[in-house]
Amino acid sequence: MKKLIEVRNLNIAYAGPSGWTNVVQDVSFEIARGEAFGLVGESGCGKSTVAYRLLGYGTINSFVQTGEVLFDGVDLLKLGPASLTRLRGNRIALVPQNPTTSLSPGMRVGPQIREMIATHKALPDDTTMERRIVELFALVGLPDVGHRYPHELSGGQQQRVTIAMAVACNPDLLVLDEPTTGLDVTTQRQIIQLLSDLRARIGMAMLYVTHDLALLAQIANRVGVMYAGQLVEVAASDKLLSAPAHPYSRGLIASIPTMDGTDRQTRGLRGVLRRDQMSTGCKFEPRCDFATTACRTTPQALELIADARSVACMRWRDAATQQLPAVVAGPHGRTAARSERLLSVADLSLSYQRPSIVDKFLGRTTHSVVRDIDLELRAGEVVALVGESGSGKSTIARAISGRLPPRSGAITLEDGPLSPALDGRSAEHLRQIQYIFQNPDASLNPRSSIRSILERPLKHFGIPADGKTLETVLESVGLHAGYLDRIPDQLSGGERQRIAIARALLVNPKLLICDEILSALDVSVQARIVELLRSLKEKHDVAMLFISHDLAVVQQLADRVAVLYHGELMQMSETASLLTAPLHPYTEMLLEAAPSLRKDGHVSRPPATPTLKATPGIGCPFAGRCPRQPGSLCADTRPPIQETGSGFVRCHLPIDGLGRHARSPQHMRSPAVEDMRLQSL
Amino acid sequence: MTMTTSSLPSRFAWLDKGFWQTTPGPFRVGAIILIAHVLFAIAGAFWTPYGFAEMGAGLPLSGASLQHPMGLDQIGRDVFSRFMYGAHIVLLLSFAGTVLGMVAGTTLGLLSGYIGGWFDEITQRIVEAMISIPFLALALVMIIAAGPALAGEPVLIVFVVALVYAPRIARIARAAAMEIATREYVAVAELRGEGTWSIVFREILLNAANVLLVEFSLRLSYAPILIGALGFLGFGIRPPTPEWGLMISENRNLLIASPVTVFGPGLGLASLVIGFNLFTDGLSRMLGQRSVAGA
Amino acid sequence: MSVARLLFSRILFSALTLLLVSILIFLILEALPGDVATRILGRDATAKALEVLRSQLHLNQPALVRYFQWIGDFLRGDLGVSIATGRPIADVLAPRILNTLLLSLLAFAIYLVLALVPAIIQAVNRGKAVDNVISVITLLLLSLPDFLLATMLLFLFAVAVPILPALATISETSTWQETLRAMVLPAVTLAIMMAVYAIRVLRDSLIEVLRSDYVRLAELKGLRPRAVLFRHALPNAIVPALNVTALNLGFLIGGVVIVERVFSYPGFGTLLIDALQLRDIPLIKATVMISAAVYVAANLVADVLAVLLQPRLRTSR
Repeated sequence: MKKLIEVRNLNIAYAGPSGWTNVVQDVSFEIARGEAFGLVGESGCGKSTVAYRLLGYGTINSFVQTGEVLFDGVDLLKLGPASLTRLRGNRIALVPQNPTTSLSPGMRVGPQIREMIATHKALPDDTTMERRIVELFALVGLPDVGHRYPHELSGGQQQRVTIAMAVACNPDLLVLDEPTTGLDVTTQRQIIQLLSDLRARIGMAMLYVTHDLALLAQIANRVGVMYAGQLVEVAASDKLLSAPAHPYSRGLIASIPTMDGTDRQTRGLRGVLRRDQMSTGCKFEPRCDFATTACRTTPQALELIADARSVACMRWRDAATQQLPAVVAGPHGRTAARSERLLSVADLSLSYQRPSIVDKFLGRTTHSVVRDIDLELRAGEVVALVGESGSGKSTIARAISGRLPPRSGAITLEDGPLSPALDGRSAEHLRQIQYIFQNPDASLNPRSSIRSILERPLKHFGIPADGKTLETVLESVGLHAGYLDRIPDQLSGGERQRIAIARALLVNPKLLICDEILSALDVSVQARIVELLRSLKEKHDVAMLFISHDLAVVQQLADRVAVLYHGELMQMSETASLLTAPLHPYTEMLLEAAPSLRKDGHVSRPPATPTLKATPGIGCPFAGRCPRQPGSLCADTRPPIQETGSGFVRCHLPIDGLGRHARSPQHMRSPAVEDMRLQSL
Repeated sequence: MTMTTSSLPSRFAWLDKGFWQTTPGPFRVGAIILIAHVLFAIAGAFWTPYGFAEMGAGLPLSGASLQHPMGLDQIGRDVFSRFMYGAHIVLLLSFAGTVLGMVAGTTLGLLSGYIGGWFDEITQRIVEAMISIPFLALALVMIIAAGPALAGEPVLIVFVVALVYAPRIARIARAAAMEIATREYVAVAELRGEGTWSIVFREILLNAANVLLVEFSLRLSYAPILIGALGFLGFGIRPPTPEWGLMISENRNLLIASPVTVFGPGLGLASLVIGFNLFTDGLSRMLGQRSVAGA
Repeated sequence: MSVARLLFSRILFSALTLLLVSILIFLILEALPGDVATRILGRDATAKALEVLRSQLHLNQPALVRYFQWIGDFLRGDLGVSIATGRPIADVLAPRILNTLLLSLLAFAIYLVLALVPAIIQAVNRGKAVDNVISVITLLLLSLPDFLLATMLLFLFAVAVPILPALATISETSTWQETLRAMVLPAVTLAIMMAVYAIRVLRDSLIEVLRSDYVRLAELKGLRPRAVLFRHALPNAIVPALNVTALNLGFLIGGVVIVERVFSYPGFGTLLIDALQLRDIPLIKATVMISAAVYVAANLVADVLAVLLQPRLRTSR
């Protein structure tokens, strides 16, 4: 294959307060014409720094020490600004990480694409600018949204716009910087599908940067694994995922929760990347299970070990021969599930707007975000609440915690009703329900020491504590007493989340509400927190309402799963049966969209009746997007609740017709699904 | 992860000996200028080359000389002695007015930002109305309203500075409180059932401290100008007390005959404000805040 | 929210603010405890003089009645009668407002140039010598009290190098050249005083925008630097500076008082000082109300401009 771009011995340093730090060391790889190359690693490994250099771009405080980036034989790092301007966007284009902040907020999206085509004079002869832009929108599955401002589009649509912009000049190379991070699973899959499809049609090469190996399995031909600024393994993506050679690749793969019911946490990664604790030899040595004393002093470089496959590890043979352990997930603590009822939520409807006097006078009803929720938790049970962003998961959690008084419905804890508003609840009730937030950076007061953060709830609830109490709780979350005198800034994200968990556990709650507590953390850290939660659940007999968008994590932890869509419960089921027989079409869609570690060739199924529109509170909210809906019935009538063995399904289709979906032959490419929302704008 | 005792929390870092070396340049220069001004003011309160009201210290309008670095005014008073004596007055008035405005503004702003609702609505409208009156006009109107008995009294000037500043500081404090109130550690405290005052002072105040410190420093740097402007217009401290703005105004008649009597005190005042501004600039850089001056 | 609805609600809020301003001014000037007449005339005033003043100000009526009388007249366009001169306030104010308006327009035009150009130069060359030099100059200018800066400019250009008149006295008989020459020094002083604030804000906000994801994407789209700066960066960076400009107008009104005084310019500011010195309460109330109205209107315009520049704001709230 002909090389399109080649990176040779790239070394990049950043200027920090304490001098220069090497962030990229001796990175070399090449991408052939039309090839998709993935670059994967945890946050801070230098993958994006490398990617942006492929556009000849670096931040002011970064500095290329040595190396070259050859594009068609020209070194981009030596090119002047004018020549770079000619290449960028025209022959090498970028799809940025966060489309919401990357589109110019004050400019309609059409002109943003137009200025790119105009600057590079890249308008094909046989068409007009207007036609070309509409054509580009169609290419990425959007209607003509040229007159919209970026904020008028959803995240998925914004990302489609940046992709349309990136391919507008038919570039040879597309650099994608985590393009699907922050999007919902189903949208993520549609974007991946779109990109694979565009590559097949336009024939451009791709550099795909991500922290998500499972995504690369779907789109990349080859993958490079980066750790602490170095490439540690380069291999064909199927080879890498099935038989990783580098211990870090192995750990990374093992950390990924998968849907196949196996449990790999025992072989996840330990520790975190600490640039201040780097050995002179292999950078991964402090976290490596295969490390020997020689590893600490011998620097490792990429070595060819097979055809198109190289590894930077002298112990790769030992690492590669050891099988990836595949332990079947035990039904942790599921025996305890049949105990007494702890929390029940009945007919809950929630809204953020309070109806104003004018609305009441005019008999207007304000729109509910969440409707008719019935939910039950037993003591010691973990119930997961799953849904896409905006489905109302956290809203329900807010209501249970008392931060959002419901519009209607009742919440009962044990046998007594729970006051809807926070100030009506007794200290005892407040103690029994503890809430852990998504973002560990914001949930600890940055001005307090860990000690005072932990002591405060004890004092507040008048819980007697001796000198040992704090130490014990820190140990139970895998930390030690040395943390007490630190402040949150001195802790990593995972450590902060552990402190937040410890603070909740300290007061002996009966229910923990975990609101997306893993989503801000790296995969390897996630895996260890899941493990922690599992052990806590057994040790402390605490029930959890576990809110997540990630079915794979949920299946490792939850006894039962509630699936939420646009504020309504679609299905409630025991975890095992949900995964093996999803029943509800939406659950099915979610499961299919979750990428597995193999290339699964998934294409999302188009809605059966795309013209149908769901009106909140009247029909089924999933109508219009559902691939199996029988017809207008779905939009007009509320679907009935059908009892199943372990829960219920809310759907018009009879139970025995559900869950036996054979893939329909006409798998259409057009994603067009989320554009439903656009049309209703 | 080692078991060694970690360093003290970073909020005590400034106590370290090496602190001075790590501060930004403007901060250091500003601090030196301010220390010099404070020392000068303390000295001036106890000793001046001539009496500040002593007429005939030399030949009127004889210009700058070694004995009279800032020359002599129309009635033969030594301008430098007057300037030196006025230093502690300017510093004390600025400081007292700003502190008072800060206390009032911060309390009001944090409470209204955190509590929200109708309390916030009402305070905001009043704050908005007070800010809408150009500050110099507001200050002058208040001085007139206080009547002849209080006019020219230091306590009136202090109150006027505080009243001009309080709504502006309240607005900054409110914005900070509203931002901090969305942080999850505040939600954690609410879920625990903590009371309003506990949350405002335990969770919000400390986290707003950086913003407020920069705001304080910023307001402090403008106070001498405001007080000077009042003096310049003839509504400040009662003569013959040598407040700097008043001196500049009095000596303006001598601009052609002896410019040093105007620009001497003028540049002295400017150097104080420069010191404050450099200090603020450096402080805001150290605390990661942006210092935005605004009327 | 549509622009029209937004405009409507902003106007409503502005009106409410002005209503509160009128209450505040009234409270400060006429409803503080103690006898208003004594406070105005001093303790040594004769009983007769006090009585005359009381009847002039209708002080024998309850405060509430006086307030509504005043605000009602004010809204109908009757600003009352000046105590000191006995002339209708509207007649006294009109020419002064016109003069100050002329001065402000000139100052504002100079201000726009003085604020925009250095800020853009600084942001584009951030961290370099030019940036630092301009930063130091703005910091020094920021530290100069306005009365001192005015006096310095006067000394430099009217005394040391006498190319401009020291006193900006103009009258109906002045030609427009004379008027313009007279206005240069006060206008430049005002412009500098306002610009130093705006430069700092605009520089910071421009630098922040230049670091944003969308400017980076615009660069990586291969747009020319000029297009990136003027099409993507500047329109988004200008909004914070717009707010400062509105605040600056409040400053301008205060600054006018000082600058007009230094240059003896017969404008609104000198009138306010005269009114204060003569304790001419009706005139004080009218001038302060008008200056607050100008400030509120300026903020209203800035708000609406911000919404027009940032389409995002149209849908939020």
